[in-house]
Amino acid sequence: MLVGERSMTRGSNLPDTTRYPPGDLAVWIFILAELAVFAIFFVAYAFTRMQHVVLFDQYQATLDRNAALLNTLALITASYFVVRAVAAIREGRVEGCRRWLWAATGMGLLFLLIKSTEYAHHLGEGVRLSSNTFYMFYLSLTFFHFMHVILGVIVLLVLAARVGRGCYDARDHADVESGASYWHMVDLVWLILFPLVYVMH
Amino acid sequence: MTADTQRWIRPCTLVYLVLVGLTLVTWVAGRLGLQGMGVTFFVLGLALLKGQLIGDGFMGLRHVRGFWRWAILTWLVGVGALVGVAFFLSSGLH
Amino acid sequence: MQYQSQAVAKLYFTAAIGLFAGQILFGLILGLQYVVGDFLFPAIPFNVARMVHTNLLIVWILFGFMGAAYYLVPEEAERELHSPGLAVLMFWVFLVAGALTILGYLLVPYSGLAQMTGNDLLPTMGREFLEQPTITKIGIVIVALAFLYNIGMTILSGRKTVVNLVLLIGLTGLAVLFLFAFYNPDNLVKDKFYWWWVVHLWVEGVWELILGSILAFVLIKTTGVDREVIEKWLYVIIAMTLITGIIGTGHHYYWIGTPEYWQWWGSVFSALEPIPFFMMTVFAFNMVNRRRRNHPNKAAVLWALGTAVMAFLGAGVWGFLHTLAPVNYYTHGSQITAAHGHMAFYGAYAMIVLTIISYAMPMMRGRKAANSNRSQVLEMWSFWLMTVSMVFITLFLTGAGILQVYLQRYSDNPLPFMVVQEKIALFYWLREVTGLVFLIGLVLYIASFFVGSKDPEVAVEQAASPTA
Repeated sequence: MLVGERSMTRGSNLPDTTRYPPGDLAVWIFILAELAVFAIFFVAYAFTRMQHVVLFDQYQATLDRNAALLNTLALITASYFVVRAVAAIREGRVEGCRRWLWAATGMGLLFLLIKSTEYAHHLGEGVRLSSNTFYMFYLSLTFFHFMHVILGVIVLLVLAARVGRGCYDARDHADVESGASYWHMVDLVWLILFPLVYVMH
Repeated sequence: MTADTQRWIRPCTLVYLVLVGLTLVTWVAGRLGLQGMGVTFFVLGLALLKGQLIGDGFMGLRHVRGFWRWAILTWLVGVGALVGVAFFLSSGLH
Repeated sequence: MQYQSQAVAKLYFTAAIGLFAGQILFGLILGLQYVVGDFLFPAIPFNVARMVHTNLLIVWILFGFMGAAYYLVPEEAERELHSPGLAVLMFWVFLVAGALTILGYLLVPYSGLAQMTGNDLLPTMGREFLEQPTITKIGIVIVALAFLYNIGMTILSGRKTVVNLVLLIGLTGLAVLFLFAFYNPDNLVKDKFYWWWVVHLWVEGVWELILGSILAFVLIKTTGVDREVIEKWLYVIIAMTLITGIIGTGHHYYWIGTPEYWQWWGSVFSALEPIPFFMMTVFAFNMVNRRRRNHPNKAAVLWALGTAVMAFLGAGVWGFLHTLAPVNYYTHGSQITAAHGHMAFYGAYAMIVLTIISYAMPMMRGRKAANSNRSQVLEMWSFWLMTVSMVFITLFLTGAGILQVYLQRYSDNPLPFMVVQEKIALFYWLREVTGLVFLIGLVLYIASFFVGSKDPEVAVEQAASPTA
């Protein structure tokens, strides 16, 4: 465990800093592009809200904040599990990595389940993209993010399967780091989305 | 986790617990229906802080230098500033 | 050329260049008709010239794509083409069908053509870019299916590379989306809605995959950079292309009767459509800078870099210029659109076809790797003449567009369409003159296939850095 502690914190056996983030640089460029999409959506939300403050506040109150809290916790927990999975593979603990990845996948699926029940509720109430500007943003933003969670879960599943087949070890695990970075991005975006759409008014 | 661990808790676990704590604070703020510019900016600030914790702690940018060290933080500051301006301006439109 | 069957590409490339010349000639006729309205009337009315100009473009690009596929797929799959005979047969079917269709446009009034070809049975004619008679459309589907079968069998039984798979996905998407050309609902909104699934999802979706894979192939061959590096870039570029391009279809749904949320979806996602093109530019220059050898075919490398830059400018920048809904409210269907269309089609699709032709043709004509110095110099002259004149055509049309939008739609006292057309005639004249320069470039381009063909080949230079 001592070794694990070191590599987790990048102790003396690793150079202090690197020029590039963990994983594949191409994936990081992709992450930046994805973040740009969400940034535009967030800023558009905020500025559109300026023209419809009352409407936005009114319909924001119809959202289920408890579900959003559970979802936030699910994503953060999944991210934490992913961090542990990467730490495990860096130490060469293949089985541990696989288990953490499965646990993270489970959290991702929990998010999808909770979010689906929210959608079912809103759609059942007749909420559509065209209902009003707030709901248009709410559905667009969260659904676009929802698609990213689906992709993230698929990535985690593929990684878990490949880890199980022994494709990675303590030296060669760039794919795990790339997938992990992508998942953290999905988490990061939700951490902004949650207060912006559910809380701030 | 065995007893010979040097620290009592892994750094990433600490980051995780802080993230959970901050999330609960945000949720309580929403729950209490707190209003006003101060609360809004407090919540926004917490979100940006959480984002930075993810970028630095989980994504490992703490160990990176140069452009990528600041990529996530720049994004957070940019989004935060624009969203903040929009919310600040709209407070006068009530 | 490593495999005999790659040679079928030569037929396709030759036809592509021939049709390209036809497209430019009709472009010049059309450009003149903008200012001399009755030029060649009634033999070639404006609408017919326009139809021929755009249809020839699509057909020659398709010939180019097919030729590119027949050339690069065997080399990537490391085996002969599944059936070279089928490829030759389909070439003649496509060429004859295309020629008959163009002749039909020119010789028969359009409504008569519709009647002759039994459009009543399955009406699909009369829509921009999809003007082809229904039987021609069916012919296109047959050719596309035979082509996909041929390419698919080659890829599936050979070495699987990312370049090949991305190309196959792109070509399959091209064929599948074309099926929406047969869906022609009475409801005009629905008609337009699905019409864009062919038009937009072709040029801002699956065609970009084809573009990306051809560019990646040429860069792998000419720079000697590791395939893994290039493949990773290709993955990221196509992922971004699909995310932004598919939902970016929304920028066509602003004012046609579709729900309002498309204004948001369209604006946000199409604002990001320049990103994959920008990545493509960075990618191309990066790979050339990291080259492990100096390929003797300098012209091909020039075309490849030119494609990356011009695609970004034409498709990326000039597209973004008018895709935000509040801007598009004023600019849609103006000369701004024409400016974007010209530079995007030339920069992305015409140039990528010319790139692969430039890379492959010398070898198919018996050279080891490249043409003679004289031939390459001429080809590079044609590159600059055509590319620079296209930049100016785009700038003049942009000027015309800005003036048009202001006078006709934005000013306090908007003027009628035809009055405005007269006021922007100067830009049309400048465009026409620049078009003549483009034609000179094209003539030089064709000449470069014949000049210096007896001269010795440009020697293979020493590797930039010794590699194993």
